Order: sequence, then structure tokens, then C-alpha cells
Amino acid sequence: MSKLRLNGVSKAYGATLALRRGDLEIAAGEVHVLMGSNGSGKSTLCKIIAGSVRPDGGQILINDKRVTISGPQAARAAGIGIFYQELSLASHRSVEENICLSALPVKAGLFIDRAAMKARAARYIALFSEVSGEGFHAEALVGNLRADQRQLVEIMKALASEAPILIFDEPTSALDRAQVDRFFEILRDLKGQGRGIIFISHRMDEITAIGDRVTIIRDGETIETLKLSETDPATVIRLMVGGASDMPAARSSAPAVVETGAQTAISVRSLSGKGFRDVSFEVAKGEILGLGGLHGQGQSALLRAIFGASTVSSGEVTIGGERYDAKSPRDAIRRGCAYVSGDRGRDGVISGRPIIENVTPIHYLRDRLMLARPSSLKNKAMPALEAMHTKFASLFHPINSLSGGNQQKVIIARWLIDRPDVLLLDDPTKGIDLQAKADLFALIRQLAAEGLGILLYSSEDAELLGNANRILVFNGGSVTRELTGDDRTRYNLYQAAYEAA
Amino acid sequence: MSSVTSFFKQPLVVALILIVALLYLGQSLSPGFASADQILRLLIVASLLGIVAAGQNVVILGGREGIDLSVGGVVSLSAIIAGNVMNGADGGILPAVLACLAAGAFFGLLNGLGVTLLRIPPLVMTLGMLGVLQGLLVVIRQGIPSGRAAPGLSAFVTQPLALGIPGIIWLWIVIGLFMAFMLNRTVFGHRIYAIGSNEHAAYMAGVPVRLMRIGLFMISGMFAAIAGLCLLGYSGSSFANVGEQYMLSSIIAVVFGGTSLAGGKGGYTGTMAGALLLVILQGILTTVNIDESGRQMVFGATLLLLMLFYGRGRAMRA
Amino acid sequence: MTSTATDISSPRSGGLRSWLERYPFLPALVILIVLLALNGLFSPNSLSYRSLTGLLSTYMALIMLAIAQTYVVSAGDIDLSAGATLSLVNVAIVVLMERWGGGAGAVLLALALGVLIGLACGLVNGLVVAALRLQAIVATFATSIFFTGLALYVMPVAGTPAPALFWRTYGGRLLGLPFVFYVLAALAVLLYFLSRTRIITELLAVGDDQQAAYQTGLPVVAVRIKGYLLCGLFSALAAFCLTGDTASGDPLVGGKMTLYSVAAVVLGGSALAGGWTTVVGSLLGALTIGLVNSLVFFMGTPSEWQNFVQGLAILIVLMAGVLAGRRARA
Repeated sequence: MSKLRLNGVSKAYGATLALRRGDLEIAAGEVHVLMGSNGSGKSTLCKIIAGSVRPDGGQILINDKRVTISGPQAARAAGIGIFYQELSLASHRSVEENICLSALPVKAGLFIDRAAMKARAARYIALFSEVSGEGFHAEALVGNLRADQRQLVEIMKALASEAPILIFDEPTSALDRAQVDRFFEILRDLKGQGRGIIFISHRMDEITAIGDRVTIIRDGETIETLKLSETDPATVIRLMVGGASDMPAARSSAPAVVETGAQTAISVRSLSGKGFRDVSFEVAKGEILGLGGLHGQGQSALLRAIFGASTVSSGEVTIGGERYDAKSPRDAIRRGCAYVSGDRGRDGVISGRPIIENVTPIHYLRDRLMLARPSSLKNKAMPALEAMHTKFASLFHPINSLSGGNQQKVIIARWLIDRPDVLLLDDPTKGIDLQAKADLFALIRQLAAEGLGILLYSSEDAELLGNANRILVFNGGSVTRELTGDDRTRYNLYQAAYEAA
Repeated sequence: MSSVTSFFKQPLVVALILIVALLYLGQSLSPGFASADQILRLLIVASLLGIVAAGQNVVILGGREGIDLSVGGVVSLSAIIAGNVMNGADGGILPAVLACLAAGAFFGLLNGLGVTLLRIPPLVMTLGMLGVLQGLLVVIRQGIPSGRAAPGLSAFVTQPLALGIPGIIWLWIVIGLFMAFMLNRTVFGHRIYAIGSNEHAAYMAGVPVRLMRIGLFMISGMFAAIAGLCLLGYSGSSFANVGEQYMLSSIIAVVFGGTSLAGGKGGYTGTMAGALLLVILQGILTTVNIDESGRQMVFGATLLLLMLFYGRGRAMRA
Repeated sequence: MTSTATDISSPRSGGLRSWLERYPFLPALVILIVLLALNGLFSPNSLSYRSLTGLLSTYMALIMLAIAQTYVVSAGDIDLSAGATLSLVNVAIVVLMERWGGGAGAVLLALALGVLIGLACGLVNGLVVAALRLQAIVATFATSIFFTGLALYVMPVAGTPAPALFWRTYGGRLLGLPFVFYVLAALAVLLYFLSRTRIITELLAVGDDQQAAYQTGLPVVAVRIKGYLLCGLFSALAAFCLTGDTASGDPLVGGKMTLYSVAAVVLGGSALAGGWTTVVGSLLGALTIGLVNSLVFFMGTPSEWQNFVQGLAILIVLMAGVLAGRRARA
């Protein structure tokens, strides 16, 4: 008997078919990994199970009995708990309130039973007590917590549902190693209790560590289900990408040294600001400088400060030989900087507007345009979009009609219309599929070859190791080590990431 | 959904259908309602509302809960300023226009600064500004006479200018064309949508968000000022708080035009239809012989009914 | 252990922060005290027991209306028909009390019906905004026009007096203390109990992030409707206080009060976007508006300038309230 089964579930948003034919079978006592590129439909599938999206067709069976899930409350009642990728927390409520929010214990039908709520929340908070970090306690307002702590709260909230079927959609994206290890321990416990767990992640090492079976979804359709013990990463990736493609280009090594005599694209001296301290380096034209280390150690902060989106308290930046002082992104763009963010929802996508309006804003600024002529803009936009193999129906369709990965490609394309001098990449491949990643890095290496200076921060080691000529490893806001040449190994990267500054 | 149904669900189409329906209704309830003369009169009133609504539209499109509750006050103030500068002389028209634009821009600037620098929610800031304006009006009325419109202005607003249509309606048409051009074919217009949809993303793309937002409030102030000037031409002299009704009416016109109050979505053509729709509705209610209480109840209920067609929120479970 | 560069907040601001988190109405209280002091400066009489009681008695209605608005704002909505609801209940109870003889029984029965009318108005608003998903600002404006129409139907011309029993009780004393003090005390008790109910936390969670609240399994539509019901209830209570103070019925009395109620909420430091509100702050905000008006008067402002200065002063106090509130929430 399977705990959860989906047969032929489908969902269309207007003209876009998000899920064509979703099949899934979860057994009791397993961690079932769901893999697929962005836009493949796996998030939609999970949201359908959790009740927040209404399916167009198909069947859902729990314990082999057909059920209709009419909304999140019904899903709860049916025994389904979910961790949302975008988090479903109320930032002005406390940790314990958020954990118990879906079923606040009441006295006399009206008043919150604070004691019961505290006790209940405490059980789940205790599970992570050693790894939750400073400033984390039951009464803390969720909005005051760090990103990894907020993710922990969302995990606790999912666990608190005590549901026999649990869905975790990218639960580890902001967590550090210790937190992930603890979380996996808990998952193994739950497995032992006979629960069915769906686990979505983009990280191969995590998947192989915790998963039992894997189901691959591609273009809205379930392709295959495999036992992880009987397959290897290469096969899985091949199934995800489809067609006869080899390993993504990210695995190839980048040259250790850029040709000598190249001019400096950007030079940074003793720069300090919000989130980072005393950083110095030089990037030559044509060089890709990687920023490594654990998440949130100053890499993003540095990039944003250079781009003028965050404050600089001291130090000097020089671009093209001239003193550079950007007080806002507008200044930075005018001086030839480009910045691609990993958080496209917050920093990049102008949602609801047509694709062309999402590609042109930088061009307007660089060219000091006042009128927007569709025909001339089209001629500028198309090459940039095509360089990234962006898939879209028409330039005038809203950007929301595209999948996440393609949206990110559009955002990246906007920086390519006019050649920047310095390209700042802040985890640009977060949440996009493997094919798109490969396209992006091919493009980045080409831009480097054309003479741009590139700063690359990526939360995935493979991307750094595969593309950066040199790597600066950050910890606690400062650079602990610079890895060059043959020193660029995963081992060294980790070691430096844990070193004190 | 078939393309036919989605065509008919567009706010503009709905508005036009309703306009025709209401004209028909008006005509049957009170013959002569839809006569050429009456329609022109309705169009003049709609133009006045439409001009105010243009400024409101732009502020709302800019997002961040953008709204301008002070337009009524600016309209009233502008009418008084215009009347006094003109004082019944045609030569005074140009100075009056400049004075009104300056006043509108000034209060718009204050609104914009409060919203961008002090980050006060627009609802609150423009509300406070309205209170200040209303107080100012009391002061001004004590001191100076209400002034008179120049005959040229009155003629512009009430007499036919070309093709039998008064100048103000032509002005409204020109404004409509200008708005369509500005919103769709200029960088400024695209930027308005950008800051309305995702202000942070616009900021990261180098859009001068603060300056733009101040500009939007100044535009709203200036449009309201022009409307006040024309209103003077319509009524001959200004009287107490003549602009008060324009505040919520302009917001409703914008909503009926399909612009979302959340910003980033919509356009002006729909607002023009919305303004016309509202004016016809109010016209019908005035001609029909029911007492004030009935009029208000019907108006309120009709507004609610019409809102069912326009910009209903998204369902939680898509 | 070296402090990391990623440490953003300094200990001192942390202390003030946690104060503001526990007592979010502090900025509003400070503003109120400043205004009391200024009032006392210009007219020592204004701080007398009698004056303050008079102030409370007059502004009790706005206090209730501001509290009504606060509950709706908690969920991220707004109610621009609060004043119209107040007017409707006002004329309804006056007419009923008059029709039924004006005795104690009539009064109590009328009050009970007043509460029902308030709840009904709240229900209409809730259905229109939450269930039919119309935009709150324009939808509640439309309902306000409708309710005003109803009020005009009940009492086409203002002026019907309230029975003496009613306003004498409201303006009188009970066991040596002014009646309004008891009203205030009862209100405080009611607010305390409400703050501990589940519905308040749910309203705030919905206001914080509606989508997240939905995904968490909260019945978002029902919660928002309850917010409007609370608003309707307190609007009715506001009407009772107003009737006690003006001793008559007026179908248009609530018109200006709606916007003042929103101003009071903002003054008190609550976030208009929802998720973070303070009813005590709104209470203080309402009193602040009253004090501003009286201050302008006592300052000796020429009568024609009074409106302007009041408007300006309210704008300044609004700014202060927003800035202080943001500090507390940030």
C-alpha cells in the first residue's frame, strides 16, 4: 500500500501548461526525492498536494483511497504537511506563534492557551537547539531572524503538523552544514516512524545522502522513478536534461592564470561596509574572480556595496583607472557596472510587464533614451536573449508567462545589451535548471574572453571551481584565503571557509 | 477561455458597453437624457473629472499604495487662484494657468517629499495635506473675493470650439493621447510601470525611484490644478469646496478603468471610460425623481455592482 | 571571540528596540504627553479635571472608531465606511429610543439593536471585501455611500433628540466618578481580553502575509470578515458614545470621523499595511487629535486660521507617528 499516489495530475495557467501529467508514488518510511529543472512542474505538483493550487485533472490517492484536496486546511486534515520554498511565515509574529499558527491551542474557544502553545512549540525548537544560532528563541520575532534561522522555523512548522506525509521544497537552501546534518537526522527518524517524505533539492550531494528513491520530472511530465542506490548522478542529470547531452559544462576547469599584461578592470582597496571588512583585490580584464565561503559571509554584501545598493564605510574602489564611488545602482550602472542577483523576485523581475520591458531598463539608462521605439528596441533585445537560448513566445508577452529559469535569463540579458566593464554576479544560478546554468557559464566565459572583469559569487562549489581563475574565500565578512592555481580544490575551499579571518 | 470572452472581459470594453446601456436607461427614464446637448454637457463634466483622474491614475500606477487624496483641495484652491489672477480679463488667462500649475506642482512636491523622504504612506500624507489645504481655503476665502473667470476661459469650457465640441473636451482628448503615448512609448512611462510593479527591481536597474515618485505627485497636483482652472470656467466663479467630490470620484474612475490600486497595471484609456461611466451614472441619479436617501443607496449599490466587473482580487487558490 | 563584521545592530539600539516591541504605543504616549504639556502651557485650565473629563467625553467616540479601524487594519484591510456605520447606528438608536418611550428598557433594547446593526454593516463590508474580493478602499467607500443613504432614510433631517435618560447617564456621574471613566475602564478590560484571543493573532498573521497565512491553513476569508465584524461592533459602540455626547441624531455626523479614525491609527504607530498594530496606540492617537484641536484653540489662533493650523498640526503629528511607528517595527 502506498502512502500517497498521484495519477495524471495536470495544471495549466492560462495558455501555459505547468504540469502535463504528474505521476508520483510515495511509500511509507521513505525519503522520495523529486528532481527536475525549473519550469518542469515539480513545485506545482507539491502545491497541488498541499492544497494551495487547484489541479485541472488527475487523481490523488492517500492510502489508496481517492481524496479531494480543496485547500490547505483540507490538506492538513488529510495528513499532509509542507515546507514552502518561499516560506510561509508571519514576520511580525514570534517563532512559537508561527510554529503553532495552523492550529493555535485555545481555551474556552476564544482565548489562546499560551502555556499549551509554548509547550508545543518548545518540542520542535528543542530539535534544533544546538544549531539554531545566536538570537534564536521562542519569543523572537521571525522578521528579526537570519535567513537560515527563518528556514529552521519553517521546518519546525512543517514538523509540528505531525503529518504522515511531509513535503519539503528546497528546505536547505540557506542552511549551513551543521543544520543540514541535524535536519537529515530528524528525517531519518521520521522515516523510521513510517512517514512518507517528499524532498526537493538542487544539491546532488544532499540528494544522495538522504534520498531513497528519486522521481524525475521534465517539461511537466513524470519521466521515471529510480532507486538512488541503483543509479548515479550522471544518469539522473541526463534524465533531467533529456536528449543526449553530456555533463554540464560547469564541470570543466577554468585556466589558472589569465594572460599577463592585461589591464585592471576593477581594483578594491581596504573596502569596508555593511557586512564585510577590509577587503582588497584586483580583477584584471578577462579574469573571473570567484568569491567563496559559506553563505552570508560577506560575498553578497560586498557585491551589493560595489554596486551602490549597500553602504561603504571606508576604502577605495577604482574602475578603469579612475576613482569609483557609486552611491546608488544608477551611479554604478553609469560607470559600467552590471549586477545580476540570485534573488530575481526581489531584485530583478518587473512582474506583470512584458518581456521587452524587462530587457530594456539598463539600455534606457546607458543610452540616455527618452522615447521607447519598439522596433529599435527589438533589434537590441533579440541578440541578448538569443545569446542565452531564452525560450519565449513573443517579446510582448508578460514575463510571468515564462518559467523561473527563463525569467532569470531575461534578467541577465538586460545587462548584455550594452557592454559593461565589470560584471558582478551574486549567485546568479540560484533556482535555475542545469541547462540554463550551462548556457550561462558558457556566456560568462565568453564575456571574460572579450575583456570584462568578472566577480562571481556562487553558493555551489562546483560552479566556482569550474569557472573562477582565482577564488577569495570569505568568513565572517573578511577574506581568509586566496586560492590560486592548483590550490583551487574543494578541500581547500572548505578549509578556508571555516578558518577565522 | 476563448478569445471572444477575454475580449469582453477587458475593463475598457465593459465600460463602453455599460456606458451605452446607461445612456439607453437614462433616455428611457427621462427622455432627452441622451440628446446631443445633454451628452455634450455630460462630456464636459466627464472631462473635468477625467483631467483630475489622469493625475490620480499616474500616482496609482506608480505603486507603493500610491493615491492622492488631496486632489479635491488642489482643485478648489486652483479655482480661487485662477479667479483672482484672471479677474474676468482674457489677458489674465495665461498668468492664471501658470499660477495654477505652480500651485499644483508645489503641493504635489510637498506630497512627494513626504512620501519619498519621510516614507509616509501616501494615504496618510495626502490626507494630511488635504486637511491643510482645506484650512488654507478657509483662510483665503476670508481675505479675498472668489474672483471671476475670463470670458475666454468660459467659452473654452462651455462653448463649441471645433466640430461643435467645446474646447475642454478637445483638451481631454489631447490629454488622453498624450497619456497613451507617455505610458507606452516613453522611457518615463515604462519606468512608472516598473516602479509600480517592483520598486526594488527598478531601483536595481537604475531607475531614479524617488525622483520619479515625487514627479508623479507633482503631475497629479498639476492635473488637478488644470481641472480647477477649467472648473472655474464652467461655473463662472468658484464657491466653497467645489473640488471636494473629485477625490473619491477620481479614484473610482481609475479603478473602473482597470487600473489596479496596487500599481503597475492599467492605463488611461480605461480611466477615461470610467470617468464617463461615473458621470453618466450620477447624471441618471440626478434626473430620476427620488429623494437623497434613495439616491445614495442606489449609487452605493451600483458602484458595488460595477466593481464586480473591475479588478477583483485574485482568488487565494488559483 | 571576535565580533563578526556581519553584526548589524548595536546593543544600545537593541535595548530601545525591545522596549518598543513590548510597548508599541510608547511613541504615541510621548506625543500625547507633549501635547498635554503644551495645552497646559497655553491654558492651565485645560488640564483641569473637568476639562479632561470633557475631552474624554467628546472624543470617546473617535477613540472607539479608531479602535474599530485598528482591527480591520490588522488584517491589512481598511474600512472607509466606519463613519457612515456610526451615523447609521446613531440615527437608528435615537429613532428607536424615541419611538419606544425613552425609558430604561427602550434604551437597552435600542442599544442591543444598535450592536446588531453595527455587526450587520461589518458583515456587508467583510463579504464585499473578503468574499467578493473587491478592493477595500473603493468598496468600503461604496458601502459608506450606501449606509449614509440608509441613515438618511431613517432620519432625513438631523435633529431628533436622544432621550434624557441616555445623555444624562453618559454625561453624569456614577458613585462619584464621571460615567465616561467607567466606559474607559470597561473598554480597557475589553481590549485586554480581545488581545488574548485567537482571532487577533490570526488577523495579524493574515495582515502580515496573506498568502503565507493561507498556505498555513488559516481560513483567510473568514478571518478578514471577522475583522470587519469587530470594526462594525466598535463603530456601534462609538455611535453610543457619540449619541451620549451630542444627545441627538444626525445622519451625516460620521462623515469626517472616518478619515480621522485612519489618522488616529497611523498616529498610534500601527502599520497601515497590516500585521503590526497597537490598539492602545490608536486610543492615544484619537486623544492626540482631540488635544491638537484644543491646543490650536487655546493658543489663541485667530478663528479663520484655526482650520489651517489644525490641519498642519495634524499633518506634523501624523509624520511623527509614522516615523516613530516605523522605528518600533523596523
